[in-house]
Amino acid sequence: MAHRIGRRKNVKKGFQFTLMAVGASGLGRTTFINTLCDADVVPKRECDEPESAHVEEGIKIKPYTVELDEDGVKISLTVVDTPGFGDMIDNEYCFQEILGYLERQYDDILSEESRIKRNPRFRDNRVHALLYFITPTGHSLREIDIELMKRLSPRINVIPVIGKADTFTPVELADFKKRVMEDIEHHNIPIYNFPYDPEEDDEETVEENSELRSLLPFALIGCEEEITVNGRKVRGRQYPWGIVEVDNTQHCDFAKLRFALLSSHLQDLKEITHDYLYENYRTEKLSRSAESLPE
Amino acid sequence: MATPQVGAGIGIANLPNQRHKIVAKRGANFTLMVCGESGLGKTTFINTLFTTTIKPPKNHKRRFNKSSEKTVEIEIIRAELEEKQFNVKLSVIDTPGFGDYTNNRDSWMPIIDFIDDQHESYMRQEQQPKRQDLIDMRVHCCLYFIRPTGHTLKPLDIEIMKRLGTRVNLIPVIAKADTMTPTDLHKFKRRILEVIAAQDIRCYSSPLESDDEATTQRNMSIMSAMPFSIIGSTEDVITPDGHTTKGRQYSWGVAEVENEDHCDFKKLRQLLIRTHMLDLIHSTEEFHYENYRNTQMETRKIGEARVKTWKEEEEALRKRFTEQVRLEENRFRSWEQQLIAERDRLNKDLEAEHSHIKALEAELEALQAGLSPRRR
Repeated sequence: MAHRIGRRKNVKKGFQFTLMAVGASGLGRTTFINTLCDADVVPKRECDEPESAHVEEGIKIKPYTVELDEDGVKISLTVVDTPGFGDMIDNEYCFQEILGYLERQYDDILSEESRIKRNPRFRDNRVHALLYFITPTGHSLREIDIELMKRLSPRINVIPVIGKADTFTPVELADFKKRVMEDIEHHNIPIYNFPYDPEEDDEETVEENSELRSLLPFALIGCEEEITVNGRKVRGRQYPWGIVEVDNTQHCDFAKLRFALLSSHLQDLKEITHDYLYENYRTEKLSRSAESLPE
Repeated sequence: MATPQVGAGIGIANLPNQRHKIVAKRGANFTLMVCGESGLGKTTFINTLFTTTIKPPKNHKRRFNKSSEKTVEIEIIRAELEEKQFNVKLSVIDTPGFGDYTNNRDSWMPIIDFIDDQHESYMRQEQQPKRQDLIDMRVHCCLYFIRPTGHTLKPLDIEIMKRLGTRVNLIPVIAKADTMTPTDLHKFKRRILEVIAAQDIRCYSSPLESDDEATTQRNMSIMSAMPFSIIGSTEDVITPDGHTTKGRQYSWGVAEVENEDHCDFKKLRQLLIRTHMLDLIHSTEEFHYENYRNTQMETRKIGEARVKTWKEEEEALRKRFTEQVRLEENRFRSWEQQLIAERDRLNKDLEAEHSHIKALEAELEALQAGLSPRRR
């Protein structure tokens, strides 16, 4: 595949990839991270004292790093969790906190690049993709969803996903996905939509990318426990009326998203972050400081 | 003095029947409020509860025509229900916009004001010379819809529930309960009850004792299910054993509304309609309304206009400013730390360069020293 050229030499060294997960609490964000890494990366939220349940904790930004092995390829995955987003009565400050974090990583790279003597062991902490968890209301995007995606898309690849998608019947899910994409288009939100060029790219790539694009926003279900179904062990949730399987593509889009993030589109996301998003930031920042210099 | 026992009966025992006839003819007037963020199934629940389309589902095509005002509205939907020739004038109060915005500060005010206004209006009408045709929109019951996060109540939930509990019969429900597995649901219910107790939120509690054991048992079983987990659906599905009922058809199974293993809908419906509707109406009139009347009369004369309690608003403002100041301070602190880190790093670079220069200078001196003896 075209985008896999050049992978051979990196296979031994492995890849580094940083992912951020943003969404209101209770949407399965933490469970998703643990399901993605197949490990207890993010500790389960300790339940706060009932006496302090009315206290509004601000948003926190917490990175966790885990080493993965995908079909023999080593990936050093950093997942940045953002507990507290959207949980307060007034959530206006959440956006700036996240934006500030993303821009600080860019600032670090910028100053490192401008150093006379560069640090060979400098760690690139730029975030390559942001998974935004949409609340499965069944209606359309909420104000905070639109606001966040709009503000952050100039700095990071935003991929909208639907948390706890087992709230929906198949018909409801299709309707909701359609309405969300309509909203995204109406508000001109530039999300990462698996870009392809029908003229330049080969048929396989075009097919792959348009399939992924048609799944947006990805319907996710997370589950860390294994249960036994018909004799085999699966990751799933046991309801009185049936069992939802995380890895079953009929039930949710988890498997497809995971493959896109950690295999097929990892390089693309990194390249866009470096060649486009970072460059834009750099230009903006340097022009700003040039303008502020006295004549 | 002993109460004289009447012999074969003169017909006093017929009084309840007379009463029944009067009540049956008059019908009942029931006002139910549903409160909670949008997308929690409030409309669907109302339509499921009364098995008819009281409120039509949201029209999504009009969402782009919305004005950008961020308000919480009070929507009143009226319906007349009839069953076996008994009429109920039903009013459903919806609160669209609550909890839907980025900033939901004070979004509970229109709702709280509405409830108080109904008490106020009834009180005013009672004091009129002619009080035959009273319009009574006092809210008999408020269902608060909690998002099924699986964690705990949010600060916004707590703020409004505190204020609702002192004014109206508050019944918390867990919306879209088919998102949660039975174990998760059980834990969630327990945690909600803990928070309700710790935060002093007053929820509706009905009288449990009754004359026969069966009724007492049933009342206890109903009240112990609070907060009620509900699934709403107006669509028919076919269950694994072949019969048709209201439910939701998933790829992995069918969740049934009336199945007590799946959710508490049946219990809630019993409470709201079959067994406790009268108690809800009476406790609103005899307890919440009287409460309101008392507090107003302590501070006002008859006929005087109402003064809003500013204390609450003052408190809220103070909290908000303290919070904002705290956030700003945190932001400045982290900015300061960044600047310090940057400065340290540049200083280190500078030092490195200095020592490099010094090394070169030393080298130069050494070279010069090496050259000069030859010149002598």
